[in-house]
Amino acid sequence: MKPIQLTRRRLLQSAAVAGAALAAGSLLSACSSTETATKQEVEQARQVERAFYNSICHGCIASCPCRVYLEDGVVVKIEGHPDAPLSQRSLCMKGLNQLHTCYSPRRVLYPLKRTSARGAENATFERISWDEAVDLAATKIAEAFEKYSTYALMVSTGGGGSYSRPSMTASFPISFGAANFFEPGCAQCLLPRLAIASYMYGGSCQSMADGMVVECFKGQSKADQEAGITGDTQMVVLWATQPSASSSAQAGRAMAEYRARGGKTVVVDPKFTADAAKADVWLPVRPGSDPALILSWYRVILDEKLYDEEFTKYFTNLPVLINPDTNLPWLATEVFGEEAQTTPANTPVYVCVDENTGEIAPLPFGDPAVVSQQVNPQVLATAEVNGVMSRSAGQIYRDEADPWTLERVEEFCWVPAESNRAAIDLYTNPPGGVAGIAQGVAPDMEEGSSQVPLGLMGLDMIMGYVNKPGATLIQTGKPAAADGEASRPTVFLDYLERFGAPVGVGYQIGATEEENRARADSVPETYDPNDKEAKPYYTKATQYAVNQLQLDRLGMTNHRGLYDWMASHIPTVREAVETGDPYKLAVWFDLSGNKLAVLGSAGAWYNAVMDGGLDFVISQHPILTSFHMELADLVFPVEEWLEATGASDGQLNYAFPTPGVIHLGETVPHTVAPQLVVDALSEKVADKLDKIMFGTTGQSMEELGLSFPIGMGFTNGNRSEDELWDRQIQKFSEFPGAENIKTKEEFLDFAKNNSKFYLVSPPPEKYWTYGQHLPLADDGLPVGFPTESRKCEVYCTALLKLSQTGWPHCYPRENEPIDPRAGNWNGAYAPICRVPEQKEAPDIPNSEGYIAAYDPDFPLALTSGRVYHYHHGTMRHAPFARELYPAPFVSINPETADEYGVESGDWVEISSRRTVGTDYDPQGTRGTELSYAKSKEHNIKVGDPIHAIVKVSKEVAPKVLWMERFWNPECYDATREGKKTGGWQECNVNVLTNAIDPNFNEVFGSYTNRGFAVNIKKSSRPDGVWIEPKEFEPFMPTAENQVTPEVGVLRDNKDMRTDTVKFGGE
Amino acid sequence: MARALVVDLDRCSGCEACVVSCKFQNNLDLGNYFSHVVEVGPTGEFPDIERYWLPIQCQQCSNAPCVEICPTGASYRDSDNGAVLIDADTCIGCKTCLSACPYSDPTGAVKPSVRWFNEAEQIVQKCTLCNDLTATSDGVENDDDPFDSSHAVPPCVHNCTCGARYFGDLDDPNSAASQALAKAENEGRAIHSIEAEGAQPVAKYILSADIATWQGLGER
Repeated sequence: MKPIQLTRRRLLQSAAVAGAALAAGSLLSACSSTETATKQEVEQARQVERAFYNSICHGCIASCPCRVYLEDGVVVKIEGHPDAPLSQRSLCMKGLNQLHTCYSPRRVLYPLKRTSARGAENATFERISWDEAVDLAATKIAEAFEKYSTYALMVSTGGGGSYSRPSMTASFPISFGAANFFEPGCAQCLLPRLAIASYMYGGSCQSMADGMVVECFKGQSKADQEAGITGDTQMVVLWATQPSASSSAQAGRAMAEYRARGGKTVVVDPKFTADAAKADVWLPVRPGSDPALILSWYRVILDEKLYDEEFTKYFTNLPVLINPDTNLPWLATEVFGEEAQTTPANTPVYVCVDENTGEIAPLPFGDPAVVSQQVNPQVLATAEVNGVMSRSAGQIYRDEADPWTLERVEEFCWVPAESNRAAIDLYTNPPGGVAGIAQGVAPDMEEGSSQVPLGLMGLDMIMGYVNKPGATLIQTGKPAAADGEASRPTVFLDYLERFGAPVGVGYQIGATEEENRARADSVPETYDPNDKEAKPYYTKATQYAVNQLQLDRLGMTNHRGLYDWMASHIPTVREAVETGDPYKLAVWFDLSGNKLAVLGSAGAWYNAVMDGGLDFVISQHPILTSFHMELADLVFPVEEWLEATGASDGQLNYAFPTPGVIHLGETVPHTVAPQLVVDALSEKVADKLDKIMFGTTGQSMEELGLSFPIGMGFTNGNRSEDELWDRQIQKFSEFPGAENIKTKEEFLDFAKNNSKFYLVSPPPEKYWTYGQHLPLADDGLPVGFPTESRKCEVYCTALLKLSQTGWPHCYPRENEPIDPRAGNWNGAYAPICRVPEQKEAPDIPNSEGYIAAYDPDFPLALTSGRVYHYHHGTMRHAPFARELYPAPFVSINPETADEYGVESGDWVEISSRRTVGTDYDPQGTRGTELSYAKSKEHNIKVGDPIHAIVKVSKEVAPKVLWMERFWNPECYDATREGKKTGGWQECNVNVLTNAIDPNFNEVFGSYTNRGFAVNIKKSSRPDGVWIEPKEFEPFMPTAENQVTPEVGVLRDNKDMRTDTVKFGGE
Repeated sequence: MARALVVDLDRCSGCEACVVSCKFQNNLDLGNYFSHVVEVGPTGEFPDIERYWLPIQCQQCSNAPCVEICPTGASYRDSDNGAVLIDADTCIGCKTCLSACPYSDPTGAVKPSVRWFNEAEQIVQKCTLCNDLTATSDGVENDDDPFDSSHAVPPCVHNCTCGARYFGDLDDPNSAASQALAKAENEGRAIHSIEAEGAQPVAKYILSADIATWQGLGER
């Protein structure tokens, strides 16, 4: 055998070590005096030095199980775990590059305090102690509370990375009596799908990238295969979702396996994505026109009776007749008297047209075999009820769909009628008889953020693709009950269950009004220390406070779908920062991310803060981003994934342990800084509660009987790394073989090189479960669904009630009705999919009423999507990602490229209305709660045109541009000559996006990040932006991983470096 | 012995995890690559278009021009397992092999080039099939023991997000690569090589006609 020639230099290079200098010690010591080594010697050196731990990647939200390898306490390699049920052994670039993220020279490893004015150009920070930092944050918040009120604090998170979890984001502001929390995703990502699913049927939504759509992946895991379980799904519609790019190793991999076993797909996407390229049918929908395309499917399915007749008649509310005055279903009691309520009070009887008699009749909920003996409900019907001509919900849907023939849709949506028909045929007549839809994020970022999930989940419902093998809308891990065992299902929506229900705030859907009122009333006035069941904060005072926070949260006047995550409406918050109206916001506590990269119309936020809108900005993040360089006054260091410990992540029914295997500097788990600040603030103002006003109530904390932390807010965070470990050890002990583990050291010893250290629970046969709505409940009726009607509400009555009173979130004290101009449905939220007015679009014939205006200055439609290299605002500091995708590429069809005289590789400047200063009608065309008093001064020009590199490709239609968000951390690198910038304006599509025009989505207030109008012209590479691989050298990992020493802004770098990286923090 | 990579293009999504896995494993400098992913298409009339992604690395030619032409013998075929390799200490950086290799850019700097000129070290480098890890492997991983060298695979194969990559000796019918080809053949899916006159590449690609028409590297 020919020996491999290994010099010392080559030895380092063959070591599979990212930070070669870090690993040098171990390998060199193994072959210290030799200039050459045999392959076996290298192998030996590796095996002696290497150990691995199972973990879960936190590079995005896909939770891919991995093995993390260490040498001498340094992470040297990451790979996908071979037993991962979805990602199998895969790991994408975002996961691989976590090694560079963790050891990035851009890490924040110590608390940092700004010592300069805001702005990136001359930004300087100094290292302070944790005690100083916590005290500074608490002091600033206390000052703002005394000067203004508890509403002076606002909290945010989001932008990528899994650094803060929802349980914290909702509870953290409650602790302070602060009304506002936001994240740039939320209304623009996932919330609309989740909330609409809750309202329509109380189940999970159609998101594949967020791990809700899993049925099509059944049969792929080793546990499934050992149990002899195979996949049932044979047809999936991927609507505006790109699993190959958004979650490459997880849903991307699982879809590859699905297709390999013959599964069919329809892909609806403006871009010819990897999933589209492998689809049976691709529908290249024009950005933002999805609702019209959906209605064309309803039109065909209703007209040709392709729907599941039994399910639609007895388990959806489409046959019920709707009172046109209230938009709500007629109750049988209103028409036929009290005796018509033949089912329990929690299960209303409605009214329908009996197909057998042609007359109106009561429609009770029940077993189809029983109910059909009484009445044969007609899905499409119109009849006089109490003297009022009333349509069935089905008829209302059919009428709404009427304009949207396949031909009209070809003109409006740019989807060829023939392809559209082929897609409908595959969906309605799939192999195996059951199909399902997976909906991605794109519509969340468009005007139709509520309408699209209404339409798409409604389609699965009328097709009867619910709780069935092969469907999307299933409930995993919940075996159907035996007859007589279950009760009528009820639900508290999402966060309310944790933060509202204990103090009687929020309405339990499925329970009666009387039962809900009784729950609210039963909360005690005062805390009785002798009552062992009682908790100090379960009192009427807390109920009042939590209810008041719901009422006063910014944006709830009109956009109440946000209640589902207890979140605020971002443009309304921004305007309050600008104007101090309706109340002053003074301190911003951000929990994660680069806000200037990920907030829509980012320049408006930059202007609002730079113009003095806020007294103090606190942030925690592992990396120093544009947001920190420009705006943050105090930065707490938090752990990256490889430092973080947790026990409950995984895929499907697999949980993998996630031990923190390294520790750098003074980083902490993400709950520590918020918890310490809550503690410090509570102590600091304990004797000033009479001087601190609770929001705008006009009453002090003391007068209301409140103290900090308020209620069941954020009181369960960890105060140190050790505390977190102590808690996680309890959870780890649930893993097989780890029952007796008591300490971190024992855990690490057990986990070392233990590839099988994970948990499969429940077992496959109890995980893949169906038919939950079918057994008889204890009241003799089928279990049904946790909605008011106990059926799938394809006609979503919850939205109508939400727009009137804030039901079910804002209770017992309720909201006023929304501004009627803000509603899309006779002054209320539309309960079905309809085509909302699109603000900006290319020139489309016959689009009056559907497109606000065509502006010839901006004739192109820009949309966005995921790339393989980055998750949201993350990883732009990862050199192996940047050399492959150095700057955003903008895809342009060859026909359009010719028209503009651009070629692949050219730089172009991209502009939108946000870069020219166009005024908007502050009232909008559909009403608004924004005054834009301050924005007018800015003339609503919130930034300059951005830049991107042209990719000429037929992957998009003519007049469509496709480009992902970007920011450039090199723009404030120390090596930059001349003026440094924050790097968020040069190539960031969020400078162009539209969070300005007040015509937001009615339910969620979603602003428009996709499908808006732009123009392009040839330009050149912007100053400060790197594109050549070698330029990214300053981003390569370092043993001196320290807060941006090369930025050159730190007062005393020397003290701030960790010279050694310790394993496990010991 | 015919050790090589087989890539299933019906699965590949062009995610470049293979490129980055390779960079970490082989500690490649910025700008230095052993593999690339070439996007072929979309071709056709919009919206009736097709496209595939073609990951490309050293094709492990049976009749390797690089071995023939190398003036120092630095380009050689491993006598034990037949892998085409470059001995870094013998390489003088003359770039003759770059001109001879039908899959490389003569300057060793332009993508996609399967041989790459390492400026810092003044040598030519390329994919070794991670021979230091996999020299005796059949390409079928031992899931329970990642240190089992008789079943090791290159990280580009292990981490592939589409499960599209296979490694092994194509002369061994039990290797992972041979098994993948046999399965594809049974399913009636077409098997292709990036043909180059005389070189006889061993690397294979699977691509069904209903996904896209094979065009090799496409229009360059």
